[in-house]
Amino acid sequence: MSARQPRPAQGAGVLARVALGLYPPAWRARYGDEVRALLEDSGAGVRAAAILAWHAVPAWACPARHLYDRPGRMRASLAAVGMAWVLLAGLAAVFVQLAQAQGSSQTLTLASYPVIQWSYWVFDGAVIISVLAVAAGGVPLWLRMFRGARGARGARRPRELACLLAPVVVPVVYLAGSTVIAGLVRQPAARVVPWQPRPVADLANGMIGPWWFLALVVAGFAAAVVSAAGLALALRRLRPDGPAVVLATRAAGLAAAAMGLAGAASIVAAIGLYLWAPADAGYHESWQLAVYLPAVLLAAGVAIISAARGIRAAREPAVA
Amino acid sequence: MRDRLDRWADPPLLVLASLAEEPRHGYAITQDIADTMGVRLSAGTLYAVISRLESRGLIEPLESDDRRRPYRLTAAGATELAEQSERMHQVASVAQRRLRANYGWAGA
Repeated sequence: MSARQPRPAQGAGVLARVALGLYPPAWRARYGDEVRALLEDSGAGVRAAAILAWHAVPAWACPARHLYDRPGRMRASLAAVGMAWVLLAGLAAVFVQLAQAQGSSQTLTLASYPVIQWSYWVFDGAVIISVLAVAAGGVPLWLRMFRGARGARGARRPRELACLLAPVVVPVVYLAGSTVIAGLVRQPAARVVPWQPRPVADLANGMIGPWWFLALVVAGFAAAVVSAAGLALALRRLRPDGPAVVLATRAAGLAAAAMGLAGAASIVAAIGLYLWAPADAGYHESWQLAVYLPAVLLAAGVAIISAARGIRAAREPAVA
Repeated sequence: MRDRLDRWADPPLLVLASLAEEPRHGYAITQDIADTMGVRLSAGTLYAVISRLESRGLIEPLESDDRRRPYRLTAAGATELAEQSERMHQVASVAQRRLRANYGWAGA
């Protein structure tokens, strides 16, 4: 074996430690010490930290199989799909507000441009299928984890219960809060027909101002991330196994595929509206599309790839 | 031109080639690859590769009391390296033959 050739220890560096913290826990548990030792030997500069952080993405998206058992791979898939799915759902909600909910002259536009009309129909159908799949696979698993976290007397696990309640409570609080705020800041008679270019997106024909809309969108994504993180933490702490996890993994595959289709349909509709009927869109500048399109593609890609890995694990025979 | 080489070199193959000589830990692998092949792998790249190779059963870790755990090539890794080396050798042979014929290249 080759002799070690140590350099003066420089410490792994704060940046490298932060970058290492971006990796999945199982990856850190297996390789973390070795990476820290290598960084100490070779020096941990900004570039090394940036490359280390970059490789955390595939470590999540394509988790190494030898680091997880079959149920662990399904749970990791569920956590990743859950995060990507809620982001796609948030993007879908933004699309609805800025396209379908704009109203006004859309009836005439949709009759003239069947591509947009069909995109709306595909989007609606795919979103419904995806939500049903999440309910069909998610509710049994959630109930099983909830029973496990509630436990018998004295065995209650409050942290796990809080994680499990996050995907239920946080969206409800957000929806109630945003409804109240939208009612308070509503702009009377601010319809946008005929079209006039405005600098920032508006909610449903300008009923609330663009900055309020932006604030609600940001808060909505924050709520979505907290909800998905709660589910991921519950999966990690409670480590559920068995048919409920297999069912949820398969349902997550369907949900991811359907939400990916909805995202594709929304992209077609969004581009169609931008090109042919900007009066019916709540967005009027190309940068808004330039943000939306890659965000949908990235989230859909992560959801579908992670779901495929989970389904592959679900198909493998269970080890007794 | 070494920076350019970094973009074309295949890190998994470099790691397999390094371990074909003897078991090595992370720092020794990066040093060997830098010294013999002129490519400097960062910690992030190296451990992404090690994770993939270990997952595919091409390398395996050895016991170690130190944080610097050594790895060695498995039989499957040796087979994979042999196949890839043969393929690269064929490409190199064709390239060198054509360079000699068409560009007067005398060889290294």
